[in-house]
Amino acid sequence: MAIVETLLEVRNITKTFDRVVRALDDVSIRVEKNEIVSVVGENGAGKSTLMKILVGVYQPDSGEMYHMGRKVPFPKNPLEALKRGISIVYQEKGVIPHLRVYQFLFLGLEEKFTRLGRLQLGKIISLAKSVFEELGIKCDLSSSMYELPLSMQKMIEIARAILNIKLMVGGEESNVTPIIILDEPTAPLSIEERDELFQYLLNLKKSNSFIFVSHIIPEVMMFSDRVYVLRDGKLVAHHDLRIEKISEEQLFREIVGRASYHELWVKYEAAKIREIDKKPIILSVRNLTKKGYYRDVSFDLHEGECVGLFGPAGCGKSEVARSLYGDISADSGKIIVNGKEIKLRSEPHTRVKVGIGYFSGETGKELLLFWPIRKNLSIVNFDKVTIKSLKVVSVISFRAEKSLAEKIIKKLRIKAPSIETECYSLSGGNKQKVSVGKWLEKSPRIMILEDPTIGIDVGAREDIYEALLEMKKNGISMILVSDDPKEYAILCDKIISMKDGVIQAVYTNEEFRKVIEL
Amino acid sequence: MAQTWFSREWLHRNLNTIIPVTGFILMVIALRITNPYFLASWDSVITLVYGMSWFLIAACGLTLVILMGSFDFSVPSVLKLSAMIFAVLYPSIGFSAILVSVLTGLTFGAVNGTLLARFNIPSFMATLATSMIAEGAAQVISGGYTRMITDPAFRAISTTMILGLPSIFYYAMLIWLISIFITFTTPFGRAVYAIGGNIVGTRLAGINVKKVRIMVFMICSMFASLAGILYASQIQGAHMQVGVLDMIPLFASVVVGGTALTGGIGGVHRTLLGVLIIRWLDSGLSMIAVDLNIRMIVFGAIAIVMTILTIDRRRIKIMK
Amino acid sequence: MKKNLEKVGVKSPIITSTWRLIRGNPAVWAILGLIVIFSAVVPDRFLSMSNLIAILKNFAVTSMLAIGPTFVILLGSIDVSYMGIWMFGGALVWLLYPYLGLFSIIIYPVFGLLVGLFNGIVHVKAKIPSFILTLAMTALLAFLTTYVRNISGVLTLTVPAYNFLRESPIPFLPSPFLLALPVILLALFLMFFTKLGTYFCAIGSNEEGAKLAGINVDRYKILAFTISGLLTGLGSIAIFVHLGCQTRVDFDPSELVRGLAAIVLGGTPLAGGMGGPHRTLLGALVYVLIFNGLFLLPGVDPNHLKLYIGTLLMGAVIVASKALKGASIT
Repeated sequence: MAIVETLLEVRNITKTFDRVVRALDDVSIRVEKNEIVSVVGENGAGKSTLMKILVGVYQPDSGEMYHMGRKVPFPKNPLEALKRGISIVYQEKGVIPHLRVYQFLFLGLEEKFTRLGRLQLGKIISLAKSVFEELGIKCDLSSSMYELPLSMQKMIEIARAILNIKLMVGGEESNVTPIIILDEPTAPLSIEERDELFQYLLNLKKSNSFIFVSHIIPEVMMFSDRVYVLRDGKLVAHHDLRIEKISEEQLFREIVGRASYHELWVKYEAAKIREIDKKPIILSVRNLTKKGYYRDVSFDLHEGECVGLFGPAGCGKSEVARSLYGDISADSGKIIVNGKEIKLRSEPHTRVKVGIGYFSGETGKELLLFWPIRKNLSIVNFDKVTIKSLKVVSVISFRAEKSLAEKIIKKLRIKAPSIETECYSLSGGNKQKVSVGKWLEKSPRIMILEDPTIGIDVGAREDIYEALLEMKKNGISMILVSDDPKEYAILCDKIISMKDGVIQAVYTNEEFRKVIEL
Repeated sequence: MAQTWFSREWLHRNLNTIIPVTGFILMVIALRITNPYFLASWDSVITLVYGMSWFLIAACGLTLVILMGSFDFSVPSVLKLSAMIFAVLYPSIGFSAILVSVLTGLTFGAVNGTLLARFNIPSFMATLATSMIAEGAAQVISGGYTRMITDPAFRAISTTMILGLPSIFYYAMLIWLISIFITFTTPFGRAVYAIGGNIVGTRLAGINVKKVRIMVFMICSMFASLAGILYASQIQGAHMQVGVLDMIPLFASVVVGGTALTGGIGGVHRTLLGVLIIRWLDSGLSMIAVDLNIRMIVFGAIAIVMTILTIDRRRIKIMK
Repeated sequence: MKKNLEKVGVKSPIITSTWRLIRGNPAVWAILGLIVIFSAVVPDRFLSMSNLIAILKNFAVTSMLAIGPTFVILLGSIDVSYMGIWMFGGALVWLLYPYLGLFSIIIYPVFGLLVGLFNGIVHVKAKIPSFILTLAMTALLAFLTTYVRNISGVLTLTVPAYNFLRESPIPFLPSPFLLALPVILLALFLMFFTKLGTYFCAIGSNEEGAKLAGINVDRYKILAFTISGLLTGLGSIAIFVHLGCQTRVDFDPSELVRGLAAIVLGGTPLAGGMGGPHRTLLGALVYVLIFNGLFLLPGVDPNHLKLYIGTLLMGAVIVASKALKGASIT
């Protein structure tokens, strides 16, 4: 083993947002030469905040940074970080699809290859060729980025980050080892593509260091040298995998923590309907396939049952959910609601008509942020707020709308000055409550939930769980897709585990709790 | 949040109401000073009413489209085509020509809406293409000649006096009120605003976005064609210059009323004020012999300034 | 085959791009098809020398209208101020000729540049949709031109002193074409031999990604509008000469559509990120061939031009709309 040399170290970083939310609390990590360090944690554990501090997007409230043993100030912008040899490859949006490979590789670096106003294409291409040879990438330099497989795109992005550092750090410190931060690089990749990417990373490790941000445990275990675990902004564990041997389950428990959800489980037990299999089947999915995302997905959903689609990010679970709502369309298979087959290629409004509802945690996508709460709540409930006596035209009754809104606000404990408050001024949790609240009164037969509690605090989370459990108690069936295993344990009667777009196993709630050891 | 009624916040929020109202008052005062005949007699009022009524009908349709965040260039062309069809067909088939006219308008609206909703073509591009087709069709059916209709029944549609005001005024008001009613109190109207506000969320909330878009374009073109029919009756015929210079004033009157080009903000109720400002300013300026081209430049500049002021920048991430 | 391409790609991107352009562009097939059809149907009129020269002239005019805005369309925005720059630029040349003499033609590019810069700044800073902004600009300048004509009491804004430009030094190549050539070369240079082409494509393809790559997106957007204005200004000289050293004084929407149609026919998608001036040149050729051939056919009435143009534009955007799937279009 080479001599351990610390490249970068940050100590006691604390960062708060809006003076209240403590995103990072006294976190210290270090990166050594030629290693892959993983930073793992749930959504909202503070991983991305930490990375953004390292590359100069955010400034920490307190803390120290050491670079190659010297104390340095935190970088003020990405360019400063780049000059120190730190670069980041973002989870998405980093690739520019329509550029050719060599154009993308040198994007932003053209100044160094311009002479007399003329771009030296020959020089760029020969350099690109040698870079690719050195890094072992085999691809046609003049193809467009979007034509390449996703893993290749990721590899080129990493190559680009290294090249950026090499060219920005320049002559006098050319021996600097680049530190590349990879933000969830495997999320959109298939399993084969992931292996390809990791082989590539292991190869690059000889001359670079990586910070690998992820929440997919097996790959973290397999490829990283050390692991830092973040939970709720705190560093809860640090393992050197080269020395220690820990199990996946242990790491998982450290990531998830042991928060007390027993009260909610009691509620789950109370809401649970006995002998759910005897209830009528309300939705059956048969051999549903969407090329490149999932295949041969079949399951039944009984009245008042909640089925969870469980699996790592990119396993096709959210695509299944969105296909059921018609946001995207499946290629083949059958979706049967109440004994009636529905068209695969139909828009969400036809699904709403047969009694399907959809709720995602992405409030920015779902809500009309510049509308008052009242209107946001009634948009799916027009049948409830229109005046019935007028047969010819449907007219909204403002009184009915108001009472509907007040009812939902009270039920979900939405904290807002009035029903006329515009949604953008609400807090994240309250926005989410408005978003779920509009379905509360609609009472569809089937609710599809995608990350229903993403990025909100515990209190609001519990309110939403309660509302959902109550809906379930009233006989509404649900399909849940989430990143949080606890959510499945609280809400679901049946958990379908998926991997690479294929169903692997089906658990009951009790079995599932045992599997994830909660 | 402490809210005094006259704070910066309040001012900013109500900018798109304050500007048109003060603008209107200032304009009336200025016109009254520069032109002694402005609003001096009932006849001058009737002249102004004639000038704005058909225009208001077309502007109501355009407002609906802009509320959705789209744009319709074909309004003046469809207006011209409808006027032309009415004038050309009236001698042979009488008032059935109105039906043909309106159906043509609806067809154009359906094509516009379909190009946008089904083929994903930006509405300005789609309607630019259909407006050329409408212009061409008007040229084909008229042969480029002016059609005069001397039949008093033809003229009576819009010029019958009821309570001292011409009937076209009542039609315009009726259409205006119906549009307000639709946008404010029906689920359809809500959907129009919702599409302008957040089209992705609207689709996920289970609203048939494609249908609403097509219907709004059809309503817009139908209003344009009604405006064309009434205008033809008002001027006793139709010619190729009808509507040629109307796009800028139409657009100006919608945004001057306070409807934001990005959609979701404003409303048909505001368009009346916008139409009054633009049309009265137009007639006021032409009375003091301001060149037509200069008037157009003035309207264009007003439109752009109002667009800048009314656009809600909080919700724009990327502006193309 | 693939290996072969790879080799070519490493050797010279220009050859690959040209090969890709020809292979993957329906406009090329359209051009060949149109030439074959019209040569077969009306050979004597279509293939006559005078008609071929007319095609070249019209090609010069159409491509000069469309080539500048192509850079803005790469961004996914749109710039239709070319009509205004062309019309009012000519009026300025006419107005300033008594003072500047033959140098007054320089007004064209300078004016174009300024209008483009203004458009860019207002679009980026005030966040107005580019289409509405530039259309208002065109309308404003067009009305100003008509106004200048009206108050000056002349019928046309002609500057006869430039008549010498109408004589072409090279036989069979009309002077508008020769004047357009340097503009075309400049556009191709900017697109392929500077970083600008890459940057504009990057912004049009993924604006956030371009920002993450450290590109000053606002600055390059303004630059795209400025280049568009400058190229249109330069190109307007060719149109000015083509029209007999005068400018247009009445606004005609079909001229406006001409530029857009050439861009769309060339295969530069309205969503941005792809294409470029090379495609616009092909599009312009398709456009010119269609209308040149069409009016040679018996029974086609030139008075119905607008009908044909509208239908053509509609067809072209429907075909081109494939690239727009998934985006939320307004």
